[in-house]
Amino acid sequence: MRPAPAPSKAQTRRLDRWLRSEARNVRQPLRAAVALDGLNGFLLIAQCWLLALTLNATALEHALDHAQAHSLEKHSLEDVWGYIAAIACLFVLRAILNYLAQRLAFEAGARLRTGLRARLFARIEELGPAWSRNQRSGDIATRLVDGVEALDGYIAGYLPQVRRALLIPAAILVFVFPADWVSGLILAITAPLIPLFMILIGGETERLNQRQWRSLARMGAHFFDLIEGLTTLKLFNAARREARLVGRIAEDYRQETMGVLRVAFLSSMVLEFLAAISIAMVAVYVGFRLMYGEIHFQNGIFVLLLAPEFYLPLRSLGNQFHARMDALGAVEPIIELLNAPSPTDRQTDHRGTVPCHAQDANPNAGLREGSDEDRNEENPDDHPEADPDKAPGDIVFDGVDFAYPGGQPLFHHLDLTLPAGCVTALVGPSGAGKSTLTQLLMGFLPPTAGRIRIGGKDLAHIDPEAWRRHIAWVPQSPTLFLGTLAENIALDRDAAAAPIDDRTRSALWQAAERAQALAFIERLPKGFDTRVGERGQGLSGGEIQRIALARAFYKDAPIVVLDEPTASLDPESERLVSAAIARLAEKRTVLVIAHRLSTLASCDRILYLNDGRILEQGSHADLIAHDGAYADLYHRYRQATS
Amino acid sequence: MTRATKHRELRWLIGLTRPYRGWMLAGVLLATLVILANVALLALSGWFIAAMALAGLGGGAINYFTPAAAIRGLAIARTAGRYLERLVTHEATFRLLAGLRQWFFEHLEPLVPARLQDRSGGDLLSRIRADIDSLEGAYLRLFGPVVTAVLTTFLMGLFLLFWSPGIAAVDLAGLLLAGIVVPMIVLRTGLDAGRALVEARATLRQRTAETLRGLAELNLFGNPQHRLDRLRRDNAELIEPQRRQNRLDAGGNALNGLIAQFTWLGMLVLAIDLVRNAHITGPELVMLALFGMASFEAVAMLPPAWRAWGETRQAARRILDLVDAEPAVPDPDVQEPPPTRFDLDFDRITLRYPGRAEPALDAVSLVVPQGGIVALRGASGSGKTSLLNALLRFWPLTDGDIRIGGRSIRTLSGDGVRGLCAVVSQHTHLFNTTIATNLRLARPEATEAELRAVLAAVGLDDAIAAWPQGLDTEVGEAATRLSGGQARRIAIARALLKDAPVVLLDEPTEGLDAASERVVVEALRRLIAGRTALMISHRPQLLSLANQIVHLDQGRIVHP
Repeated sequence: MRPAPAPSKAQTRRLDRWLRSEARNVRQPLRAAVALDGLNGFLLIAQCWLLALTLNATALEHALDHAQAHSLEKHSLEDVWGYIAAIACLFVLRAILNYLAQRLAFEAGARLRTGLRARLFARIEELGPAWSRNQRSGDIATRLVDGVEALDGYIAGYLPQVRRALLIPAAILVFVFPADWVSGLILAITAPLIPLFMILIGGETERLNQRQWRSLARMGAHFFDLIEGLTTLKLFNAARREARLVGRIAEDYRQETMGVLRVAFLSSMVLEFLAAISIAMVAVYVGFRLMYGEIHFQNGIFVLLLAPEFYLPLRSLGNQFHARMDALGAVEPIIELLNAPSPTDRQTDHRGTVPCHAQDANPNAGLREGSDEDRNEENPDDHPEADPDKAPGDIVFDGVDFAYPGGQPLFHHLDLTLPAGCVTALVGPSGAGKSTLTQLLMGFLPPTAGRIRIGGKDLAHIDPEAWRRHIAWVPQSPTLFLGTLAENIALDRDAAAAPIDDRTRSALWQAAERAQALAFIERLPKGFDTRVGERGQGLSGGEIQRIALARAFYKDAPIVVLDEPTASLDPESERLVSAAIARLAEKRTVLVIAHRLSTLASCDRILYLNDGRILEQGSHADLIAHDGAYADLYHRYRQATS
Repeated sequence: MTRATKHRELRWLIGLTRPYRGWMLAGVLLATLVILANVALLALSGWFIAAMALAGLGGGAINYFTPAAAIRGLAIARTAGRYLERLVTHEATFRLLAGLRQWFFEHLEPLVPARLQDRSGGDLLSRIRADIDSLEGAYLRLFGPVVTAVLTTFLMGLFLLFWSPGIAAVDLAGLLLAGIVVPMIVLRTGLDAGRALVEARATLRQRTAETLRGLAELNLFGNPQHRLDRLRRDNAELIEPQRRQNRLDAGGNALNGLIAQFTWLGMLVLAIDLVRNAHITGPELVMLALFGMASFEAVAMLPPAWRAWGETRQAARRILDLVDAEPAVPDPDVQEPPPTRFDLDFDRITLRYPGRAEPALDAVSLVVPQGGIVALRGASGSGKTSLLNALLRFWPLTDGDIRIGGRSIRTLSGDGVRGLCAVVSQHTHLFNTTIATNLRLARPEATEAELRAVLAAVGLDDAIAAWPQGLDTEVGEAATRLSGGQARRIAIARALLKDAPVVLLDEPTEGLDAASERVVVEALRRLIAGRTALMISHRPQLLSLANQIVHLDQGRIVHP
């Protein structure tokens, strides 16, 4: 992972603001945690006062009693046991408050993370496949999991600590002043210096720290890049050369970094220095005032006991800055994802605004239009198909324009027809827009202008979910999801909701059988219950492809889109997959994207796509006879493979 | 597990730190100084004001200059000590980091790729990464705090012993409880939650990644609502063990606070008794009470250190297991001079991987004449890649011999054999640096004109010249700059630059679309021209370059 560029001050402020506004969603537990901490602070002060009384009675009065041979001994020591018992009670009470405050801070963080993740997931769903296919999935997964985790330190650690650092010193000051105003003054003067110095030095230090962190990350990335490419290095006999380099880079880094750290550590030194020197000053001044009899001993010792506690929350705040930096570093890509422009945004105005609840309830409903006005525009007598087993009519691209936001127009006035029940192949050079065309067809991208008609209906007015119920898709590299093979084939089932029943089982069996997948599935020790992961560990490319085909058979949709499913298979797998595809194509409307031209002869029609338009179309024989661009491509292909 | 192996990781780690021992010791001494200065500052301050108060009340005269100066001196010592300590410990850590990385790299090198073949690439790498990270932090997070805690506790114990064995015993007991017993219990109890957490995080990460990758499939075949519910459940399953851990940690913190406080309260009660019997003075009582309070700073760093201990040890174990394997193919003691002819003769070679019943290659004989081009076909697992690995001396032969130009590879070093071969495979790695640096891997002294020449041979010269940075373009921007076909062609250009007499191709066009495949095959045609070539592929375009095709099936050559 490459380190992100250093955020500027303005950026840091913006990110800080965003995090604080997010924290408002968990105001209640955070406030409760801070309130408990405040109460704890007051109990601490009481505890110090009781201790001061104890020390006064034992160390001072008792000693004086001895010295002056009075007989007050019994009296003062009996008091002491009462104080000590009270102190012990305070210990227990404070421990309970401490526990509860930590738990509340955690719950605040947990609730925030849960809420944020839910929003991010919903956002991904909203952005849709047209967006996600251009994203690096591993990167975003890291953001959503580890990035969101990093916010916890800010919410559960840094924010409550900021409040504590304001609240507790203030409370201590309130009690120190009446006890000894000189000490109160020392604390009051030095305390604001700490955050002041932190801001003054901290700004610079923060940048230095970040720079150092980034160069460490860069060095780490370099090192692991070498590890990853070790085989390649070895093939060039360069491994030993690079080993020396590894040591040298780390050495250079050490020298550079130590130079930076000498400055960076100064800020924490100032903090330490102020805290230490203030305690020393309080002790010395209190000592002299005691000697001159200006204050009472129990006030003096009370102030001395409070002095370290006064600086403690401020010093802890320094430690929390790290958590803050981590959160600030992680938050930018999260905001980016929440604000990512949707590739379908511009179309939302055109689309029917009435949600199709009826279709949601009835998965067997056919295509239905989203809005009444639009229906008037179309032929009102033409009722939509209700039978999912039957293709819902021809698919017609009617003067379709398309451009990616901010990109060159890809299609201009694209016209084409995919006749119902026919197999149509789409060929053309890479970059011609074949994949984009399937995205348009599946409704993941809206045309910029023009229409896609399904049996006469404008796709823009059809509920996307209802439309997708009619389509099965077998991509070049299908995704296997974490779960069993059965769950992967019957993807529409909520695996957690109910166990697979007999009917589903027989449907699964049939789909796998048709996809030529049954034989290898049954050879697996756990059969359909074999668990697979993201990259389908343990399954070969051909087997994964046949699982994807089984998915399509299981869905039994009338329209099938195939994106060159045999592209990267060995010959035996290719034979099996091709046989399954031939079966899937029976009686369905099929669009097949083909990079390899060897299997095209069996297609009903071939569309040759180039420069965003259909250059030629017809059967294989027609196009060869026509001797145009397709024929040229085909001959070159044959030449290369013969 | 025997005692010896049980402490293997620890001994190894300590051995690794030996060269930096001076720095580490200095760091520990400075850290001890900082803690002791802090404890002394508070204790002395307490003593000072009590003594001054007594003096003020007529309890006697006092020399206040020395303690007042000592108090200021301690404050400064603590501050300066802290600064120096941080510098020194970081110095030590960076030195350890440099040493560790070089050590690891050098020890891993002989094992690649033979010993790493079974382990899945991505997983292994991210694990190594995390392991090396935790080893690099071992001093800062583990050794430093532990040694410092032991040292400070010992010195503080000595000091208290001077006043009262009872008080010393109470403080030691408290420190032991807070520094070792409670954190250990918390750690033990939290093991399950920790494991569940790691697992839940991995699951959530994976489920998120697959949701993104398969969003179209989920939209077409699945129910997006189910998916969202599922992800929410995964999130809840991550939060739950964190909650358990938080309960434990918060409880541990609170308990440790209680221990510290009751400890100094106990010390106070004992000290009061001493005052009553006139064994110590009033100011000394105050000093002991404040000493007890401050003494717990000595063990404050221990709970995180114990946590680091488990991690560090696991990391050390995995890294050691990885590099402790014997190098797969040892070089011969006496090496013969390199061959002058470059025909390849595989003579009844058998190769058996440990732990597998069937040999990967079973008495395979094959001759590639000088300048000949032989293609190997066969299903995955038929032994094609094993054949190349045997030739490159990445794996030892179980039986038989391979000769290059009549010279047995057993008499050549691994580097010697690999110097004769240029390899292009599907997995050829491009390093995250400039294109020029990637090319120069093959020949460090190559001139820019030579680089341009090989790029021209693979048809990339124009494309790269058009980029603003030209040859100095970072490959790291590959996602946007280099297509799969271009990356493959840079690998071919690199092989051309090496100008080795033998070319080995391991599915070099795998995963490319038809258009890219065509240009890559064209570049490969130039690479193998005039050289002895052995290629693995089932792609027709590439196979058309071969003048002989050999079929492998389950480790044997078959003649269909």
